[in-house]
Amino acid sequence: MLDTAFDALKTFDWGSDLAALAPIEDAATASHGKPEARQDLENRLITALKGILTRDAQDYICRKLANVGTAAAVPALAGLLVNKGNSHMSRFALEQIPAPEAASALRDVLPKVNGDLKVGVISSIGARRDRVAVDALSGLLADSDASVARAATLALGAIGSAESVTALQTALRAAGDRRQTIIDAILSCAESLLANNQIANASSIYKAFTDESQPRLVRLAATRGLLACASQPAVRSI
Amino acid sequence: MSVAKKPTRRDFMKTTGAAFGVPYVITSAALGNSERPAASDRIVMGGIGIGNMGRGDQGAFLGRKDVQYVALSDVREEVRDKSKGNIDRHYNNGDCKAYNDFRELLARTDIDAVHIATPDHWHAIMVIEACRNGKDVYCQKPETLTLREGPLMIASARRYGRVVSGGSQRVLEDYRKYVVPAWAGEFGKIKSINVNVGPLPQLCNLPGETKSEAIDWDLWLGPAPWAPYNAKRCSGSFSINGASWRSFSDYSGGGMTDWGAHHFGGATFICDVRDQQPYEVNYFDDADGKYLAFRYQNGLTIYHNKPKTDQLLIEGTPGEKLAPKPVPGYKGEGGIYGDFIECVKTRERPFRDIESAVNTASLAHLGNIAYQLKRSLKWDSVKQEFVGDAEANRMTDRARREPWQL
Repeated sequence: MLDTAFDALKTFDWGSDLAALAPIEDAATASHGKPEARQDLENRLITALKGILTRDAQDYICRKLANVGTAAAVPALAGLLVNKGNSHMSRFALEQIPAPEAASALRDVLPKVNGDLKVGVISSIGARRDRVAVDALSGLLADSDASVARAATLALGAIGSAESVTALQTALRAAGDRRQTIIDAILSCAESLLANNQIANASSIYKAFTDESQPRLVRLAATRGLLACASQPAVRSI
Repeated sequence: MSVAKKPTRRDFMKTTGAAFGVPYVITSAALGNSERPAASDRIVMGGIGIGNMGRGDQGAFLGRKDVQYVALSDVREEVRDKSKGNIDRHYNNGDCKAYNDFRELLARTDIDAVHIATPDHWHAIMVIEACRNGKDVYCQKPETLTLREGPLMIASARRYGRVVSGGSQRVLEDYRKYVVPAWAGEFGKIKSINVNVGPLPQLCNLPGETKSEAIDWDLWLGPAPWAPYNAKRCSGSFSINGASWRSFSDYSGGGMTDWGAHHFGGATFICDVRDQQPYEVNYFDDADGKYLAFRYQNGLTIYHNKPKTDQLLIEGTPGEKLAPKPVPGYKGEGGIYGDFIECVKTRERPFRDIESAVNTASLAHLGNIAYQLKRSLKWDSVKQEFVGDAEANRMTDRARREPWQL
């Protein structure tokens, strides 16, 4: 059955009957807790991905590798990151594969892609909250492509580390019309710090945005943040 | 002695930035009368996604005297044109602006609030972007497509102090007959309730076809995987069986979230757990079929599709009567829409506040994942992750197509 399904993948395209691929779906579920069966399925998917397939079939394999892929699948997926037609679905898998090799693949491809593809890779790095990427993302905050700079800003906000804050605060000084997005990312970092009980750090971020020179929306957010800091048990006990 | 001018609601609401470059002419309508508040005290609104549900939402807001509807956005040209025509006829002017790209609408600093009724795969991006732009939001249900989106939407709403309402009117209006006795304590401690809803979402592999409408296809797909145009793929009909986007996993959680937003919303309201998420989902596959049991910390079980069990069948504690609690309801007048508008004015949280809306949607997402994996799952609602199940954790979110990002 599984062999038949992989045969069907070779000619699978939009409009094909998905039922033909049902054995692959079943194998993904049934192989949970069975390392050998899972590895066999992953190997089949990787081999198929390296073959000549339609975009739809490639996409399907990426969906499955998002569920069952390991470090072994990363090289095949990473090779697709630079292709306009495949980059998203490659990230669809890589974003979910817990192996550090998947994070490395996303970081490594950054200098090799531009425009929307770069934005996509950055967004996946942010979704993975990859702290190792903070330096690389910081270097993109002043990118000449505004969409890349914005993506890096939001990704650093998603990562939410103290290092992210430092990079964003530096960028804020020369932000121009990107100021609002950078502040949003810094506020997002403050929330992460607060959630991790780094109350003093969060509080100091919020205080910087409470003065009258800040837009009303920002002052409101900063004030709410300060109130949240003040309500933390560690502060109340002082 | 100088007398300070009493601030209007719009003074209060105004956030920052230069005023949007539209001419401002004082008219008699702008000054208001006994029938209609002055323009400065009306909520200035726009709408994004004006298909089936969006059209209904728009009509409800347009009919309110305390709303000035000024802009809309839709990726379908015919929808844009028709909708603008309706609004301009309503106000007897030509002021409504129609946008293909929602970002232009959200960038307008003169708009206080937006309603969103796009397919579900757009909700999180739009709600978060609206909050960043200082807008209050009424977002149709199901509010999320993935588990990860919910907390990010809540965080954005709370960060900027925005009023963000989810969209199921049925939660309060359809289930009141169960809610009232439940909150009056007449069932005693509720042990379980059953929700029958479905089906699960399915992958869409419809063939490409020639466009039968003027639609910005790339923008319709947005963060979803690229796929060729097919009228059924993007149909806004209420089908959940393969003839609309509601059926397909790239855009929706299927009937499980689409109708689940109503039914699970009603069940969590009846049982007063709208502010919670379950800690465990038990998966059963026996002779009678597949079904789920969502377990809550307070001992409640919400069943999904329990065999031979009626919709919203409540198992209480016979002979026990609990102290009654006041039943929460809408604020203001005009149902769920009036509730939202009233909260925009007062800055209170609406009945379907984004947090309880997200909790409802998350219940359905947890169920979809358990069915797909065919196993029971433990859920840490604080960390928003499955406990000891890396495979399930891979299903809490999905990569968005470039250039879209949360």
